[in-house]
Amino acid sequence: MSTQNIAPMTSRERVLAALKREPVDRTPVCNPTSVATVELMDLVDAPFPDANRKADLMARLAATSYTELGFDTVMPVFTIIQESSALGCKIQWEKKDNWPTVRMTEPIWSKPEDIKIPADFMSHPDTRCVIDAIKILRKELGDEVAIIGKTMGPWSQGYHCFGVERFLLMSRDDPDKTKRCLDKLKDLTVAYGIAQFEAGADAVTLPDHATGDLVSGQYYDRYLLDLHTEFAERIPGPIILHICGRTVDRMDSIARTGMSAFHYDSKNGAQESMDVVKDRIALVGNINNPQTLFARGPEEVRKEVYENLDAGIHMVGPECAIPLQTSIENLKEIPLAVKDWHKEHTAAH
Amino acid sequence: MAQLADVTNEFIREEIEEYIQRPDEIERIVELFARVSPKMQDIAAAIIEGEDDVADELTQQALADGVDALEIMDDGLIAGMSIVGIKFREAFIFVPEVLACARAMKAGMGHIEPILSAAGVESQGTVIMGTVKGDLHDIGKNLCIMMLRGAGFTVHDLGVDVGEDTFIDAVEEHGAPILGMSALLTTTMPNMGKTIEAFIDADLREDVKIMVGGAPVTQEFADDMGADGYGKDALSCVSLAKSLMQEVKAESA
Repeated sequence: MSTQNIAPMTSRERVLAALKREPVDRTPVCNPTSVATVELMDLVDAPFPDANRKADLMARLAATSYTELGFDTVMPVFTIIQESSALGCKIQWEKKDNWPTVRMTEPIWSKPEDIKIPADFMSHPDTRCVIDAIKILRKELGDEVAIIGKTMGPWSQGYHCFGVERFLLMSRDDPDKTKRCLDKLKDLTVAYGIAQFEAGADAVTLPDHATGDLVSGQYYDRYLLDLHTEFAERIPGPIILHICGRTVDRMDSIARTGMSAFHYDSKNGAQESMDVVKDRIALVGNINNPQTLFARGPEEVRKEVYENLDAGIHMVGPECAIPLQTSIENLKEIPLAVKDWHKEHTAAH
Repeated sequence: MAQLADVTNEFIREEIEEYIQRPDEIERIVELFARVSPKMQDIAAAIIEGEDDVADELTQQALADGVDALEIMDDGLIAGMSIVGIKFREAFIFVPEVLACARAMKAGMGHIEPILSAAGVESQGTVIMGTVKGDLHDIGKNLCIMMLRGAGFTVHDLGVDVGEDTFIDAVEEHGAPILGMSALLTTTMPNMGKTIEAFIDADLREDVKIMVGGAPVTQEFADDMGADGYGKDALSCVSLAKSLMQEVKAESA
């Protein structure tokens, strides 16, 4: 990605350009999932679980990504369960130091015919608060920083509503039934994505966990390639696809969806990933969470940032939502390292 | 030494040819299937294909024909899962396919377990298993439990979202020499380390061998946390539990 002779950009301009794989003044720092930590919650008095359910707290905690850490994006949707809550899944909201989760052992659906989207889905407090938080962030941060929303893909939603094991078995036993489920869920992904753009989001993350830890690359092609291509056509703005785990075997397909970016995991090498996607989609990632950001120090973080930049990754950040006990010092190191890398490379020219 | 041609079941021969690549594993698997009866090979084939109704029927038939329950479990069900495990490890198959195979094994085990239990077969050791606090994922853990039980271990499943105190209480209550913890999320992995620290704080760390696993967990992470072992998948979980039991026996000898 070219960075030569580019006038200084705002964070928002930088991210929007990177999403289009256009020249930037420096590589943006971005986490399209979540950088919420206990330290940040304490700093602005916006703790979980309330920060996942109240728009003002959600916006306040999300803003710290820009104001405290120096990232170029803010992401108010820390969880992957807002839609599931609105659909009627049982949620374990937890406390400040733990992530809320869907009780997938108590699924709400077992067959496509069970899928009923509640009439109040968009006005449910747990979906509405995201829309309101995006509006607050846009009002308070103006055009300085990129605001990223999040709309869950139908594959991930299937895990939540059918239970992971049952959904995966269905996908093996009855592909037609599985496709009918995905088809019934896809409009939700589109509608919630559009609502977030209308509220002021600059991009949306679309997590759809067809990870190599669970399913094959052929599965991605069979079940999701067409759907993800459809999302890229129907959602009017940049989409960042997020899939955890090893995904190199499906990155070629992902690069063909027309989505703007792919948020990739540290199980995939930066260079091997760039070699697969070439210049067809931007890559975001892939600083390791549990071993580096959580358990190591700034030096190790810097090393991984440099590896990404050396490979030409378009946006640098953690590989996924970070552990809540991650230190601010390690997170701040990411933008510092990015800036230093660019200084060194500008000086070298 | 047995040859591939000695395996009478054509499907299993093809599976070995297509999916087993390591010379030592080819030798071991060929030896195994060359030794077992055609009926047991049929049961193993049903497991590999994930056909639970077939596995169920063949297991019942074998028992009715007077085949020993332990033989059905070892030479049919577990033998089949050994090929499944290798295919999964080498990424020839993924979790949906493994779940179908596990479902088939469960169907067969449903007939075997009550017989073994009534016969009072000696346990290989007691293992406490659970998914750590904040994590509700249990597919991998459940596969490990099924394979551990199949290998003769007594397993107490604490389920998901298990706190440090619950792990400690269970280890103490059952006098378990092995604890297995699972996590699927990078956000919950640190809770494995917290649990290990809780065992240290309770002065119980020396009393239990702790093994960890889960999609994002690595050997390096396990070492950093001070775990005694890391299992990449359900098959390695069983061999790890066996080697940890040997350590326990050696230490107490």
